[in-house]
Amino acid sequence: MSRPIPFCDFCTPSEQLAHVDPKDLPPLPPPYDKWEEKPWTPLSQTARTEREATLDDTLAVGVPKPKNKQEEDELVAAFLRGLDKLFTSENNWTFLHPLMLSMEHCARCQTCSEACHTFVESGRNEVYRPAFRSEILRRLYHQRRSGGGLLSRWQRGGIELNWTTVSRLLELSYRCNLCRRCAQTCPIGVDNGLISREIRKLFSQELGIAAKEIHEKGSMLQLRVGSSTGMNSLVVKDNLEFIDEDMTTKTGLPVKTPWDVQGADILLMHNAGEILAWPENPGAFGIILDAAGVKWTLSSEAVAYDAINYGLWYDDVQYARVLIKHVQAAAKLGVKKVIMGECGHAHKAMMVIGNRVVPADMAVPVESTLPYIESLVDGGKLKLDPKRNDFAVTLHDPCNVVRLMGIVEPQRRILRKLAPKFREMEPHGVDNYCCGGGSGFAIMSGNNFGEWRTRIASRRKFRQILEAFQDDLDPKHPKYVCAPCSNCKGAIRDVLKYYEAEERVGIHYGGLVELIVNAMTDAKPGFLEFSAA
Amino acid sequence: MPTFTHGSVSIAVDEDGFMETPEVWNQDVAAALATTEGVTDLGDEHWKLVNYLRNYYLQYGVAPMIRKLCKETGFDLKKVYELFPSGPAKGACKVAGLPKPTGCV
Repeated sequence: MSRPIPFCDFCTPSEQLAHVDPKDLPPLPPPYDKWEEKPWTPLSQTARTEREATLDDTLAVGVPKPKNKQEEDELVAAFLRGLDKLFTSENNWTFLHPLMLSMEHCARCQTCSEACHTFVESGRNEVYRPAFRSEILRRLYHQRRSGGGLLSRWQRGGIELNWTTVSRLLELSYRCNLCRRCAQTCPIGVDNGLISREIRKLFSQELGIAAKEIHEKGSMLQLRVGSSTGMNSLVVKDNLEFIDEDMTTKTGLPVKTPWDVQGADILLMHNAGEILAWPENPGAFGIILDAAGVKWTLSSEAVAYDAINYGLWYDDVQYARVLIKHVQAAAKLGVKKVIMGECGHAHKAMMVIGNRVVPADMAVPVESTLPYIESLVDGGKLKLDPKRNDFAVTLHDPCNVVRLMGIVEPQRRILRKLAPKFREMEPHGVDNYCCGGGSGFAIMSGNNFGEWRTRIASRRKFRQILEAFQDDLDPKHPKYVCAPCSNCKGAIRDVLKYYEAEERVGIHYGGLVELIVNAMTDAKPGFLEFSAA
Repeated sequence: MPTFTHGSVSIAVDEDGFMETPEVWNQDVAAALATTEGVTDLGDEHWKLVNYLRNYYLQYGVAPMIRKLCKETGFDLKKVYELFPSGPAKGACKVAGLPKPTGCV
């Protein structure tokens, strides 16, 4: 365990506040028990000299260094303005209440620490302790409220507001996956995940500073072009046509994706990343829906053919802009309901928050793919043979769908039925661990951030995956991590690749619908292709 | 913003070496970027791949699906990795002057 970091150190300029020596990362299960972790790829000289890179070994936002003291002071003043807004109902009506509860009531018992995969798997580095980050904001907030009187300094002092504090807090808000396992563990429900998210929001909404992958190349691109992937409506249709042909050849079943069908039973919303990176996923959805006789459709409306809503992770305004497009597209088609595809944060954006914040007349019926697909599996129209899934399968629980929404059993009932060698990870269900890709990390890989994410944030998930497959590590025997969420798949892909887990252990990964199609006897066998290791 | 310089070529790149302004791409830039991928000599097969990516990008503003790339060029994924060891996105797309892929991909 690293030494405690006094708050005064956090506020004092230094070359680098915290460091994790990769050699000290907790060892992984076999066959990685002898694996030697390489040193971090160092940040480039440009990053070190031009960016604020003094928190730890990596850089997620990399805000440019202010040119002079005046610029620094302006940024600190803007931070204070943002802080004030965070705690006024007219500026933060969405999250003020839970934020206040989390600000006022932490007992500093540190129960949350051991619940945090990033803290524990970093070798318990103090800077990643969930309450460490929260306590910095909490002290800044109380200092601001009380004016820094003697009593308040005694109770919650030790913090100095300056650019070092502010810029490090910004980076630190991007070391949390927002998985909210800490909030679940907290005896009084303090939500450190929400605090991280609100810090990000303060910076984005008041200072215009956010990680570029989720803002400039994410939600801004989605609003401008139609999708965060850069696909416009023409390209997305063209790609689906290609997927249809590919799937038809592969399964022998005719697949044709319907677009903009008025009054369809369901509007299916995919994370558009699936279309480019995991085409079998939208392909498998089409095969299942057709086989079950569902009248379904996709929308070609800009923004709405991409279910992502990255604002969820950092900015209420960006979130609302995208949400409105999503609900409007559903209303325009007059569909009976929207089904969210295999994307966790899109579930939260549309279902948990979306229909609570839009005016009542704009709300649309939305359902998760997991119970919906289970109803099709049980509906009797799909002919399924579990023997086709004759390989070891484990299940990853996407935090936003499982811990947050409590959708625990549908996906398991499907796997118990269709995957004879299904085994759970430990812990699982609502006690799951994040994949390490949550809150945008899966798509953030600038500088060496991808390496930090893979080796620290995703380490617990990789550990759980390895533990689930300890009975047979032979790489010639394929194993499948079922991860019904795009972000999770991205993070799991990267950690499997980093540790060469396909070659060394035979571990593959993919979604849930792919496993279902793999078991469909009307389709040619071998929908899932495991290349020989 | 980092600058990548090789011979007479000098271009702005992001922290992963992708071009910041894909419009200024030309064959010299491609050859220069290829050296960062350990490819010192761009042969006909490299150019076939690079030109396909470039043309697709100019037409659609985004990189093609990998499977489409394989189908249209006739190269399987293994071959793509032989040509550009970092693979289609981090290798071939970078050399073809495409920006870094965005979104959940």
